This record gives sequence, C-alpha cells and structure tokens, in this order.
Amino acid sequence: MNNQIFKRLSYVVALMAFFAVSTQAQSPVDPNREKAIDSLALEKVKDLGKYIAIIGNKDTPFSEANRVMDRAEELFAPGSEMGVSSLASEEIKYYKVREYFQRLMALNYDKVNIEWYDVQYISDLERQPDGRYVGVVTIYQKFEGTTADKMNYKDTTKKDITIYVEKKKTQIAGRTIEFWDVILGDIRVSETSV
Amino acid sequence: MKKLILLSLSFFFVFTSYSSAQIVGENYEIEQQLLASTKQLNQFFKRFNGEEDVKGRTFEPDDRQYRNERLRKKYLSILFDEEDTDISSQAKNDFIERVTQGDNPEFLNLHSTDWFAVVNTTFLYKGKEMPLLLYMKIQQEALGYEWVIADVAFDPYKTMFDKQRGETKVFLHPMSHELDFMNLRKALVKGGVPESYTLADYKPDFLTIFLYEVKMGILQFQTVNRMNYHFFGIDGWYFSLTNFNRANDNSGWLISDLLQVNTSQKEDLLKIIYEKK
Repeated sequence: MNNQIFKRLSYVVALMAFFAVSTQAQSPVDPNREKAIDSLALEKVKDLGKYIAIIGNKDTPFSEANRVMDRAEELFAPGSEMGVSSLASEEIKYYKVREYFQRLMALNYDKVNIEWYDVQYISDLERQPDGRYVGVVTIYQKFEGTTADKMNYKDTTKKDITIYVEKKKTQIAGRTIEFWDVILGDIRVSETSV
Repeated sequence: MKKLILLSLSFFFVFTSYSSAQIVGENYEIEQQLLASTKQLNQFFKRFNGEEDVKGRTFEPDDRQYRNERLRKKYLSILFDEEDTDISSQAKNDFIERVTQGDNPEFLNLHSTDWFAVVNTTFLYKGKEMPLLLYMKIQQEALGYEWVIADVAFDPYKTMFDKQRGETKVFLHPMSHELDFMNLRKALVKGGVPESYTLADYKPDFLTIFLYEVKMGILQFQTVNRMNYHFFGIDGWYFSLTNFNRANDNSGWLISDLLQVNTSQKEDLLKIIYEKK
C-alpha cells in the first residue's frame, strides 16, 4: 500500500518537474512534453500489465486479487470498457473493466502465465473537443494456461489502450501547481495470429 | 557415479539452454513480426509520411530522416497487402512515385476531409440482428477533433422509400384542395405508401431515420464487426485500407485497394462505397 502511495507521489512529482512551468489551460503538448507523457502512459500500462498477471495467477489469494483489482481499476477513467474479439469470432464483446478482471480471475486453468512482448506503439496525442488529449498505446500480451489434466492453451492478444491526458492542478505549500495526468480508458483486445 | 551425475548435469544445462534459446528465438521472431506490422492507423500515416523510424519512434521535424524521400519509398513499399489483393506492381510503383514526387510530394493527415471510415456493425432491428454500415468522418469541434457519423447504409431503408412513378402510382388528385385535402385520411395509413405523395425529386435522408430509430430504441447497437478506410486525398488516386491479422511481416493496416481515378470515376466509386443507386 505504501509502495502504491509512494509510486503515485513520484508520478505527480516527476510530472510537475516536467510541466509545472505552463500556465495556459490545456495548451498544446509540445514534443518534449509528449515524450514525458508517453513515458508516464507506458508506466501506467506496465502497472496494468503487472496487475493483470497477479489477477490471472492462480497462486494469488482471492483477497489479494480483489485488492489488486481495486488498484487496477483506479488506473481507469470511470465507465471504461474492454472490447474483446477472438480469431474465431470477429464480433466484439464488451465488458466493464472490473468484469473483465473477474472473468480473468475465474478462468478455469490450474496454472496461468501472462507475459508481454517487448513491442509497443504509442500514437500521437490528439486533442478532443473538451480540450483533453487522447492517444492509444498498443501492446501485445502472451497468455498461457494449463488445465489440471495438463492441457495447454496459448494465445497472443493485441491490446489497444486509450490514454487520456489532462492538465490538473494541485496545492503544495500554498502554491497552485499544474501538472499533466494520464488516465486509461477503453481497451480493445483482439487475438492475433502470431 | 560422479561421472554419471556430471553427464546428467551437462545434459541438463545443454537442454535447458537450448530450450530457453528456442523460446528467446521464438519470441524474437514474433517480436520482429509485431514490429513490422502496421499496428495502428496512426502508424500507417507516419510510415506513409516517413515520420518515424523502424521501431516506431517519431522523428522530430528537424531530423534529417523526417519525411525523407528514400525512407518514404522504403516504407511505402511495405504498406501494401501482398497476399489477398491484385494490385499490380506497376500501379504500386506509379503511386509511390506520385506521392514521393520531389517537387510535389503528398502526405496524409488525420484531420483531412478526404478520407473516411466504413464501419460494419450489427444492430438489433425489430428483434432481428442485422448488418448496418456507418460512414464515419473526422471533424473539428470546439478545442479539438471528433469522429462523427456522416451517413448510414441499411438494407431495410434502401427499398422502404422507393416510390412508384407514372400512370399506375397512387396520388392525391389535383382538385384535393377543394375538399380540404380530406383524401389524406386514405393516403396516410399504416403499411401504406406515403412516399407516393411526395415531390418528384424526393430523396429520403437515411441518417435522420437511423438517428430517430436509435432514439426510439427501434434500432439497438450490438457490435462492431470490421472496418475499412477510404482515401481520396491523393489527386487522381483512390486507395483503401484493411486490417490484416496475419502471422507474418505483411500484417496490420495495409493498402488493400489502389486505383487511378478521374473525377467521374471518383463519383462512381463513392456511390458504390456509399451503396447509393
């Protein structure tokens, strides 16, 4: 828990160091800032990856998995959904983030291993009508499940993760400081042929 | 005994290092495929324009490589579907030459009005799942941009308003005004042909009907099945993009159709894509 708080504080402090100078509300993101925002977005995506691996791990106690689900949910904007399709069906099925985690936890495997390929792609940040910025981070996840009777299931999914970037304000020692925050949104999960 | 243990241990090491090397090798091969894949439309644009390196890192505009003609030619050659389409190498080369033409190169821009998406969806309509095409465009709004629905194509709408013409059609006779249009009562009935009583050049607006039916819950969104993107921004050319999910380098968002078109061919093509008569 302390680790979590420390991590969040370091995000905020790191971003302030990068962005505290700007005074214009939701001003355009310059290339240097965009790189720093990309790094922060990747950090959040990596956190999500770690949480997914813990939730999916059959050795994780139920109560711990639930705590991790809470942490993972905090990475997302309210109402975020996962849109899932497989090679067998192009139809997208939609799940609330929490529901997706619960389904992952309930998978009927004896052993589950979730890893991420070292390939990611971060789109440009585009401005929305409300002034917030939106981008998409693409990552690839390898899933391996083994049933009690040693049957193996493997797949690789592409995850296109929405990131929202918003300028926020906080008070530190009586001073108002602005910083950019990143929050995750809808995720499109599609099974790949690789 | 010692010898046996040593032999077993060396076997174990050889075997484990071989299998881990195999896994690393497998992962490496897959990662190379994923790297080559055009993973997002954003990446298609960047590769088309020569604005990123092979690992997907964006070039700054002052970088020597940014929009470099040679780099663009290299990227453009891998942006075509190689397996399922019959784009001739002549057409491909002509297109690449055109968009990289030294004094007049062409670039793609997300905010351009010369491209649109066709999204194949499924809706529940009167208790039945039915396909419906949404034509999506990007437009400026307030502080940024948004995708909007520009048009729809839906089979039940296509014939619903086909009006008969000529001597056999039903009509409101030309003296109806003298009767305070009392014959409207017989014309406007459920299951009738009210479109018969409209102007000769009447054209139904399917988008408005669609919006009305969504609002009223008559049409209920179910899912997105697939999508294509159509580009008309390169003068004299049309191309479309399809997402190919393949276990090789020729995957992701790739050019699946490429045609050289004049103005009238462009109009005809748009009619076909929009499923207009």
